Formats: sequence, C-alpha cells, structure tokens
Amino acid sequence: MGSLLKISWRNIWRNRRRTLINMSAAGFGLFLIIVFTGLTDGIMADGKRSLANTGMGHVEIYAPGWRLQHKAGQALANPAALLASLPLPPGAQAGARVVARGLATSAHGGQGVQIHGVDPAVEARLANYAADLRQGGPLTADDAHGILVGEELAKRLQLRVGLKVRLMAQRADGEIGADLYRVRGIFHSISPNLSRGVVLVTSASAETLLGVGDVAHQIVIQLPRPDDADAVAAQLRTALGANYDIVTYGELLPLLKTMEATYKDIMIVMALFVYTLAGLGILNTMLMSVLERTREFGVMRALGNRPRYVVSLVLAEAFWIGTISAAAGLALGLLVTRLGSAQPLMDFGKTMGESFELGGMVLKTAFRTEFSPLAALKASMAIYLLTLAVGLYPAWRVSRMRPAEAIRAA
Amino acid sequence: MPVVQVQNVVKSYEDNGRIVTQALRGVDMTVEPGEFMAIAGPSGSGKTTLLNLIGALDSATSGVVRVDGRDLSQMSDAALADLRRDRIGFVFQAYNLIPVLTASENAEYVMQLKGVAPAERRKRVAELFAELGLQEFMDSRPPKMSGGQQQRVAVARAIAAEPAVVLADEPTANLDQATGRALIAMMRKLNRERGVTFIFSTHDPMVLEQADRVVRLVDGKVASDDRKPAGN
Repeated sequence: MGSLLKISWRNIWRNRRRTLINMSAAGFGLFLIIVFTGLTDGIMADGKRSLANTGMGHVEIYAPGWRLQHKAGQALANPAALLASLPLPPGAQAGARVVARGLATSAHGGQGVQIHGVDPAVEARLANYAADLRQGGPLTADDAHGILVGEELAKRLQLRVGLKVRLMAQRADGEIGADLYRVRGIFHSISPNLSRGVVLVTSASAETLLGVGDVAHQIVIQLPRPDDADAVAAQLRTALGANYDIVTYGELLPLLKTMEATYKDIMIVMALFVYTLAGLGILNTMLMSVLERTREFGVMRALGNRPRYVVSLVLAEAFWIGTISAAAGLALGLLVTRLGSAQPLMDFGKTMGESFELGGMVLKTAFRTEFSPLAALKASMAIYLLTLAVGLYPAWRVSRMRPAEAIRAA
Repeated sequence: MPVVQVQNVVKSYEDNGRIVTQALRGVDMTVEPGEFMAIAGPSGSGKTTLLNLIGALDSATSGVVRVDGRDLSQMSDAALADLRRDRIGFVFQAYNLIPVLTASENAEYVMQLKGVAPAERRKRVAELFAELGLQEFMDSRPPKMSGGQQQRVAVARAIAAEPAVVLADEPTANLDQATGRALIAMMRKLNRERGVTFIFSTHDPMVLEQADRVVRLVDGKVASDDRKPAGN
C-alpha cells in the first residue's frame, strides 16, 4: 500500500503542468459549486430572516376570518393562556399582537398605518425594527399613550421624540376610536414601506383604542429552524383544533418556497454541468496519462504484479488528484463563504438602496453567503468520488491488456 | 527437472479472427537449470515471441509451455503473475525501468512484491550494486543514467529476487560494443557464481559467442540447436 501510494504520488507529478491544470479544473469547479451554493443558500436564508425584518412569523395563528376581513372583533381571546398552551420546539419565540388598520395624523399631515398593539419586550424579539431604535427609547408595558414610529413616518409627519400623534381606527362596535399618543422612540426598518406604515403601541392601549377586551389578532411564532415551520404548524393544528387559522410563512409568502425550489433545481443543473466538465477533463487527462504509460504497466505486470495492482495504481493516482483537488476547492470555498458570510459578497446598496421587496419579502441588497461546512463537504465528496469513478475506465482498460501486448505498445 | 519446456508451440497473431502472422510454427525446446543460452535468428524469426511465451507474458495458440514443470496454459492470470514474480526475471531491450523509482528502488521492486523485508532488500541490492559497479547510482533516477547503467540496474532487478530463470530480450541491442560486452560478462559471472539460468534472444555475434548453447530460429521454427563442448 505504501509503495502504491508512493509510486502513484510520483507518477502524478511526472507531467506537473498537466496535473496542475487537471487539479485546478476539478478544484475550481468544486470552489464554484461551494460558493454558488453558499450564495443561493445565503439569499434564501436572508429571505427567511427577512420575516423578522417585517415582523412576520414562521408560523402565525389568527382567529378564523380575520386575515380576510380585519374586523377588530375577529380576535383570539385570552392570548396569554393561548401562548402558554402552544406546543413549541425549544428556542422558539412567540408573542401576541393586537392589529388594526388606522390613520396616524400630526399637525403636518396624515398617513394610513397598521397599528400593532404589542408586549414591547416580546416584540423586540419577534421584529427586528422593534429593537432597532434610532431615537428615543422603548415602550414600557404600562405605557398607555406611548408610541414607536418608523423613520419614514416620522419624516412624513415631521415627528420627533416627545411630539404627539393621533391614531384613529375602527372599533369593534363599528364606531371610530381615536386617541393621542406621544412618540417615545423612532425605529429603523430596512423596508421603507414598513418604516412608513407600522406603528407600535402597547397591547393594552390598542385594546382600549379598538374597544376590545384581553384579545389578540395575531400570534407570531419565530422558529430557530425556519424549515420546521410545516411540522410545527401541523402540531399546532392537532393541538388547537379547527377554531384557529394557522398558517406558515410558505403559505403567506409562496414566492419564498418557489424561489427555494427553483434555486435548488438551478444548483442541481449547475452542479451537473460542472461535474460533467470536470469529470471529462479528468478522464481525458487520466486516459492520456495511462495510455502513454501502457508499456510501463506491461513491465509492471511482467515483473509479477497482478492485473488488479495496475487498477489500484491508476485509482491511487485518481485518489491523489481527487484528494488535492477536493482539499484545495474545499479550503478555498470555505474561506470565501466564511468571508462572504461576514462581509457581503455582492453589495448593490449604492444603486438599489438597503433592501428590495419581492412578493412580500424584504431582502437586503447586500448578498452574503451561508457558511455551511457540511454542504461544502458533501460537494467535495462528490468531486472526490467523481475523480475515482472516472479513473476506473482507464484503469480497467490497461488492466485487460496482456503484458506482452502492453510492452509492445509504443 | 527442466526449468523450461516448450513442446510443439504455435503462436499466431490474429486480426478480427484472421491469422495475419504465424510467429512460431511448432517449436520444441528444453532448458535445464544453470544454462546460459541464446535464441538466435533474424528479425521476425520469433525470438521475442518465444521469450514472451516462456515468460508467461503471452499465451501460445497451441502447444505446451512449462516453467518449473507447470503448464502455463492451465494457470490463471493471477497465478501467472505470481509465477513471473517468483520464478522469472526479465531484462528488456529498452531497459524498461520504472522511471519514478530510483535505481535501488527499481532493483528492490520484485523483492518488495515478494514480501522480502526492507532490511533484507536493501542488503541484497547493496551487494548486487557493488558487484555490478552501481554503488554511486543507488539514488539516481533512470532518466539520469546512461543506457549501460540502466541495463545493469535492469539485470540487478531481474536477479535480485533470485528467479529460476532470467529472460533477456536483446539485452545488448541498445548498447555500444564495449558496454554490451561488459554486460554479458557480468551476466556470465552471475550464471557461473550463482547458477542463474539465462536465456537470451539476440542476433549479436558477441553474445552468441559467449553462450553455451544457441538455438536458431528461422521463420518460427527451430533450425538448429548447438551446444558448445563442455569446458569451452
């Protein structure tokens, strides 16, 4: 075995340039696959993370009908008890919101908004913007007239911390409810629409505004693994029964699921292309390398090596080429995806702004890669096995020759 | 027991089932242990083909080839490989050393295949190289060595594993007169001192002069089988 590895190692360096080109092709192909997989996974992960940018949950629970009609009375009673009863996986975050469409007005104008009545401490874990205050401070749970507004709304209504803003919304009894709030803080959202169109008040003050009791219109659940959403939703449906409208982000944002499936298909096609090209390149090189050494293999057989030794020797050469190519491609791929996960690999912020909206998703214009050593390792194994597989043909071919025939070969 | 027996051997080369060349047309020959013999004949007479059949590098179309009493046609590829490894040494016209191995590694190669311990291999190769005047080339790679030096390494490789017979196909063909003469003298010495059986294919008069026995092939048949009188 030691001799086999030694001879095969020396053999691959007999034509240094050819071997290096061969290894570069395979290694670069692997590198491309790792980086493109990392980039598409990064975009998809960003899409899923973007749910927190918009305050959307991976799973959401509503009273039946509310999503269509948005009536204040279509609400979930006793949200604290409901939240406590939810069978959620460890690490999941869940919170209740009172939600209403309304109008925010100041001395300088008005703007249609979505009013979120929230538990401020919980909301900061469910929606990134609720924790990203650029001016002022957070709401407290007992703040009956405090409000957080987005930067865009503040700009439009010329609001500052401490100024008053009036909210109006349709109450459960059909009348128009209105109240004055004082701006406690101004938040930043990467979505201009959200920054302009969402305001946060406490649950209690929203309930008072809408004339409802202790209710919620929306339960928002963020999962540590977004891909578990379907399973968690199924569990919740079983546990809660039919009186709840339980939906996943995939149902709320079908585009995200479609994109995910499309990206996977694209990656499979691309991997097939790259692996085929790399495989043909390696096959060609190994075939040339083996055929020009036919006489040498004949001599090895003449000296007493069995046919399988010749196969082993060629496969050992493929092993070295595969190992070095895979190691180099993997190392480079991991390095770039690691760097790309810390700093954006591509940033269109200057031309497109901080984010863009796509089918309800808010995606950052700075694309980062997802650093996934396991996925990279799988891609490396594929190129490694491919190298060994394409080595089989020339090995088999030369092992079938009679020693005398091989030695006669020019 | 003869080390090699060839009985009524025919070897035809075919192309798509059609015989294109009949290299051997019923050859009979017996070689006893310790012989130093040559197979002579003009180009195309079947010398190399006969050596290939004796060396289990190719199979006869008909007839029987025995080495150490074993009928080669009845042996599997693996068994033939083991026979070559254990009982036959080869010296080729074009040296055919493995270029990525050093001279000493080449000489050790067959012993390594046989599972001889590394220390024993090194000892035997050091002795052989000293005997063949190759001490300074232990770590040289074949492409850096002259033809004569390479052929001496090939001889070392052929005899290091102590085979029953060494088959040398035109061993002096690529060497100048002086180097060829020295090589044959060296093989003769090994034959006398170690009792190694040598079978050459050659048409080099100098080699034929040294051989104890010359089998002449003409058109794939044995035309003559001459032995020198003992003592010469």
